[in-house]
Amino acid sequence: MKVVEINDVFKTYHDTAVEVKAVNGVTLSFDKGDFAVIVGPSGSGKTTLLNLIGGLDQPTAGEIIVAGHRLSELKPSELIDFRMEHVGFVFQSYNLIPVLTASENVGFIMSLQKWPKEKRMARTGELLEAVGLSERHNSRPSQLSGGQQQRVAVARALAPRPQFILADEPTANLDTKSAETLLDIMEKLNREEEMTFIFSTHDVRVMKRARRVITLEDGKVVSDERTNHNS
Amino acid sequence: MITSIAWKNVWRNKTRSLTVIAAVTVGVFAGVFAMAAINSSIVQRIDAAVNEELSHIQIDNPGFRGSSDIANVIAEPEKVVSVLEETPGVTHITGRIIVRGIASTSAGSAGVEINGIDVEKEQQIFTLKERLIPGTGSYFGSDTRLNSAFIGEKLAKELYIIRYILTEESFATLDAEGVPAAVTGKLKPLENQRFTTEKKLSEALSGLLSAKEVKLYAMKIKEAAWSYREGSKVILTFLDANGTQTGAAFRISGIFRTNNDFFEAFSVFVPRDELLRLTGMEEGQYHRIIARLEENDLTERASAAVKASLPGLEVMNWKQIQTDLAMIADYVNQIYGIFMVLILAALAFGIVNTMLMAVLERTRELGMLSAIGMNRRRVFAMIMLESIFLSIVGGFAGMAVSAIVIAITNHTGINLVKYAEGLEAFGYSAHLYPTIGADFFIMLTVMIVITGIISAIYPARKALQLNPVEALRGE
Repeated sequence: MKVVEINDVFKTYHDTAVEVKAVNGVTLSFDKGDFAVIVGPSGSGKTTLLNLIGGLDQPTAGEIIVAGHRLSELKPSELIDFRMEHVGFVFQSYNLIPVLTASENVGFIMSLQKWPKEKRMARTGELLEAVGLSERHNSRPSQLSGGQQQRVAVARALAPRPQFILADEPTANLDTKSAETLLDIMEKLNREEEMTFIFSTHDVRVMKRARRVITLEDGKVVSDERTNHNS
Repeated sequence: MITSIAWKNVWRNKTRSLTVIAAVTVGVFAGVFAMAAINSSIVQRIDAAVNEELSHIQIDNPGFRGSSDIANVIAEPEKVVSVLEETPGVTHITGRIIVRGIASTSAGSAGVEINGIDVEKEQQIFTLKERLIPGTGSYFGSDTRLNSAFIGEKLAKELYIIRYILTEESFATLDAEGVPAAVTGKLKPLENQRFTTEKKLSEALSGLLSAKEVKLYAMKIKEAAWSYREGSKVILTFLDANGTQTGAAFRISGIFRTNNDFFEAFSVFVPRDELLRLTGMEEGQYHRIIARLEENDLTERASAAVKASLPGLEVMNWKQIQTDLAMIADYVNQIYGIFMVLILAALAFGIVNTMLMAVLERTRELGMLSAIGMNRRRVFAMIMLESIFLSIVGGFAGMAVSAIVIAITNHTGINLVKYAEGLEAFGYSAHLYPTIGADFFIMLTVMIVITGIISAIYPARKALQLNPVEALRGE
């Protein structure tokens, strides 16, 4: 089942005197349960492509369909609701809300979606356990290590049961052990819950785990390979 | 959740938030306390004017107030009393005969207004008896003989009835009040010397004491030297009903001290029967009938009703008689309004600055919130709430500090005795007892919340203008 369809998408920036084609005619699709990485040198368009898939940015041309929604047809306010309902984000810098505890961060999107408190608490507990942080549920981000913060971010992204997770360089700031732990958790969630993960990364550790590696250069897909990594 | 995050965000940068809260607190306190002090000054002046000088409503023959002609009596005083008795809110009524004349002693003289009063009824309306300086008499007590007069301290000084003498008793008082022996020692050359005016005593003190000692102890020395000879007399001279000059010696039955120098210098009170006899007026004749109301707020309504029922007479309420007082009360309210607006505007700028810094510092976080699905309405609400919380915490702290300081100073009073001469010349007390109504605090709370909301608009709009992609890219 296709979760994301990208049809001949372009994204051009006119910020400077020079026109920059960050994404240059990309056509791709992602199936439910994919564990895919988008790789490429800096400036190849990885993050831009991720932003387009997540509805954070609009393509200059082409079409992106996510869970049956044509993103170009959504108004800005509808795009925000779309992101909340269908997309889980994991950022390089964790980006947790510093004034909230780990469990409050995980429950944040569910509270925006007005989940009943009991249901929200149960889901939060379940996710913190899945990422191995049940004991730290009451800790603020400043009291957690980088790896722990990123695991909370993963739990937060998963909380509202999105269609897929977009992870932009999720291991870039983590040491090897923390990165391996995080990837173990993501692989497990992918395997057990069939959660779709789409990464952009330079990290070999992530590439080694991926079952699909898409290589971008100058905004174009130069290869799209399925690997034999077993989760 | 948004409310909870907003509240927690306020305390993210404690130093900055506490600085703004402290600024709001100080601003609100300054505004509220200044208002309470000004308000007390006006309220005290109005109370004094109503309770000691004017009462609420005065009814005269139309020609009397301008001319003070003894012949301008009220034509049908019984009808006036009847109308007043039927007017809702009127609690007490009294009548006066009033003549202009001269008060004199062997040492001085002054023009005065001599009020012939019904002593019993006057006490139901006026509290002037409470202003009697202890040791100067008994108002018109049972021990008072005929031809007695109740006069103000200012007039007594003009007539040199009050003098300043540093007696042995004065020195004992100064010792008891903690004036150092070194100071009282310097005063010994003045012992038993008579000073006919306060100014002369001041000059003598300046010659003996240092400037610092004068500043610290002159007031206490003057109070200790204040001297009144019991049983002093004053000659009151005036025209009788036939236009013939007449007069009599009146024994002082008491000296009153108010905050109104003019009232003290100009008003003399004598028993009405005595003045009737001396002027040759007839029983039942009055120049002025005075009514007391249950409360000040009834003034306009009651005086209008009386005026409508007595078309041939001059009916005036205290606001019409002392137009300057009503005008000052109104003027002060306007000044205060401007004052508060300025303070709240300054607070608003402080809050805008703080909130703008908070928004710009949290660009990435706000971008993340937008990315994960927090819509514009919620982002706007969060920034608004942060600003309102800042304003309210500071505002309530300011009001709490104000309430405590007002309660304390209302009990202890604020001594502006240094400015007493100037203030009392205009009838204002040199001792302020700050007071403010609960309605004012409610109004201020609303204004602070509105200030918080207005202050948040610009920073909140800035937050809404953030593009999540750009916000996430940069700090």
